[in-house]
Formats: sequence, structure tokens, C-alpha cells
Amino acid sequence: MTAPRPMTTTLLDAVRDAVAGVPDPELPPVTLGMLGMIHDVTVGDGGDVRIELLPTFAGCPATEIMERDVVEAVGAVPGAGRVEVRFRFDPPWTPDRIDATGRERLREFGIAPPGGATGAPTADGRVTLPLMLGPASDPRPCPYCGSSDTVRESNFGPTPCRDVRFCEGCQQPFEAFKA
Amino acid sequence: MSAATDIAFTPPELSTPRSQLLLVLADDELVTGHRASHWTGVAPSLEEDMAFSSIAQDEINHADLWYQVLIGLEVSGHAQRAAVDALGLGRAPDEYRHAIACERPPRDFAFTLARHWAYDRFDAVRLASLTTSSDEDVAAVAGKLQFEERYHLEHADQWFTRLTAGGDEALGRFREGLAVALPEALGLAEPFEGEDEAIETGLLPVSHPDLGARWLEIVAPLLAAADLDDLVPDEVPDEASGGRLGRHTTDFTEDVWPEMTGLYRAHPGARW
Repeated sequence: MTAPRPMTTTLLDAVRDAVAGVPDPELPPVTLGMLGMIHDVTVGDGGDVRIELLPTFAGCPATEIMERDVVEAVGAVPGAGRVEVRFRFDPPWTPDRIDATGRERLREFGIAPPGGATGAPTADGRVTLPLMLGPASDPRPCPYCGSSDTVRESNFGPTPCRDVRFCEGCQQPFEAFKA
Repeated sequence: MSAATDIAFTPPELSTPRSQLLLVLADDELVTGHRASHWTGVAPSLEEDMAFSSIAQDEINHADLWYQVLIGLEVSGHAQRAAVDALGLGRAPDEYRHAIACERPPRDFAFTLARHWAYDRFDAVRLASLTTSSDEDVAAVAGKLQFEERYHLEHADQWFTRLTAGGDEALGRFREGLAVALPEALGLAEPFEGEDEAIETGLLPVSHPDLGARWLEIVAPLLAAADLDDLVPDEVPDEASGGRLGRHTTDFTEDVWPEMTGLYRAHPGARW
């Protein structure tokens, strides 16, 4: 992108902020920006907006709600025209895209965040899936007491993105974001 | 409302090699998902109820995703939903391309776990090969699903280890399940119509028969390690053959299909 006009840059920033601030419908303390779901945002000359999102889990029923919420949030930005939302699968969304703030919010919400690298990979071309190489059972500290004496009880939890663990330290079950 | 991006849409031509491949991938997942859902509320433990319900949700959504790729990812909004529903729920039974192994009823939990292991072991081999497809969308979605399917495969492997190391009843019942599920699973490795062309263009990097051979290279040693060498399958039984060409048993035509498509047929064009 070469020397965009200042007006457009301002609108683009406002649209980006609006998209990034949309909360996850099932985990409201976490936003789409924190989850690293935003691949690209472009604003055309007439103010038309095109947003490319990376869906998290294929079976996530919240995806459609996110799309609707993004359209509403961007529609409220002064100067924004038609809003188009597209989902793409390359690069694939992986939990390592969740940023540091998102991880801390998940933990506060009682969901152990994934380990691994923080921050979204750059959007230039296909990325490898670093977390795919490890076992799905990677150990997680308890989000309540911080103990590392925890076990995974089930691969499957209340949503496609979470599994179920148990903390031997505080004797509490807890959920972990899949990685 | 939503994206206001519904575009004029022509139903896809289903006879092309690309469409046939995507129907194979989607239909295997769709029917596997429906059979998994039959444990919802009646699985032998709460954990397994959640496991098979989650697997059902995952697999049906993976089918949805493959149908989206078939239709074209540029189609979005209501046009996409309508087209996906038409593919998943609006075809006649003989237009489905899943393997017959997928449509078999859950029988007992031992058979379910045997089929689960056979299927997810095959699915892993196939997804790994599809990540090198010349079709960018197929390759990208395969990579995405590989990530999610790990959880299913791990679950299946854990049960394989637990039951093969278990007592006489556990091992005996699992063995009976495998003895049926494994030969039928070879039906997953049958080619679809137009597969040769799909291989030539690189759309399908490895043929289904070769995927079957790779699958055997993985499952045979695992069976041998569990003293189940005699269960390594060599041939698909006639009655479990032909799913890729649209041949299905009454397990599908009179059971899964009527149930799965009932609402769609009763309320054409319904949206939810």
C-alpha cells in the first residue's frame, strides 16, 4: 500500500479498531483482535469495507454471530459504507494467534490459555502450525490457583475449543483452551 | 442482513472430479457425524457422551466446510447456507459418496470405538496427503481440519490402548468390533468416479487405494503390537463396497438418510 490519503487511513484505523473490539459471543472478555482472528481489513474509495477473518474451530457455532457483530460494529463507524465479511482458511487460525492480553483474559475467565508463541504470525503466505506438532495434552497450570499439578480429564469440553482438566492442587475442575 | 454479499449463484455441477472428491470428503464426515450423534444422551459415561456429541458437532461442521469449498468460498451469506443445505440434505440417497463403513449403526460401544479408530486413522492419512493438493482451498482446509482431528484421533487411540490392554471381556468385545469394522473400513479406500483425472491435476495427491495401503502400513503394526495380527484386513466385503459410487445399504437409505434429511424435506427452503 503506497501513501494512502490521510482521510482513508483514519477511516481504516477506525474500522480496524471496531473489528478488533468485537467480543467473542461465548467468551465476552476476549475480542476478535485478541484472538488473532483478523487477517485483513481494507477500505475502498467509497468507504466500502472488506474484512477477512480466520475462523477458529470449524464447529464453532459462534462464527455466524461474530460475522453479524462485525457487520454491526463496522456499520456504526462514521464514513463506513458497505461491509463485506469473508472467512478464509489460509493461513489457518491456530491458538498461538491469541495475544498476551487475550491469554490473560481467558485465564481470568477460568479457562487455561494455550502455551506456545504469542502474537499473530505475519500474513505473508502459508504458515506452519507450530502447536500441531505437540501432543494435544500439553500441561496447563490451574487458572484458579496456579498449581502445575493438573491432569487432562477429557479431550472434549462444553465447546469445540475447550477441553476439561482437573487441578490436584485446589481440587477444582477447570477448562483449557485447546491447542 | 449480514454481509449483504449474497451473489447470484448457480448450483454446482456435481459430476466433475473436484465435486466428486469434495462429496467424498464431506459425505464421509457428515454420515460419521450423524452416527456419532446417536450416542448423545445414551453413551456409557458422561465423558463419552460429551466426546461423541462433540465429535458429531465437529464432523458435521467439517462436512459443512467441504461443501463450502465445493460451492466456492467466494459464495457467502444466505446463498452459501442454502447451497450447503442443498448439498448436505437435499440429495437423493444414491447421490451420497461416503463409504458404507460410515453408515453402519453404532451397534455396541465396542464396535463404535473400533469403527472410530479405523475411520480416524484413515482420515488422518488422507488429510495429511490433501495438505499438498494443487487446489489451494482443499490444501488449506485439510490443514485446518488436521489440527482439529488430532483430538478425535487421540481419543480413538486412547480407547484402542485401553481396550487391547484390558481384561478378557473388553478385549473380546473390541476384537469382535474390529473384526467387522476393519474390513469394512477398506471401503474408505475405494476410488471415486473421475479419481484418475483428480490425480493427474494434483487435486488429489494420493489415490484412495494408495491411501488405503498407507493406512494399512500404520494400523497393521499397531494391531500386531496388540496381538491382533489376524485382524489385519485384506479385502472389503462385497456388502460394504461401492459407497464411493453411490451404492448404499438400508443402514443409510432407510435409517440415516430419512432421519438426517427429514426436517429439510418437510420444510423446503427453511432457514434457521
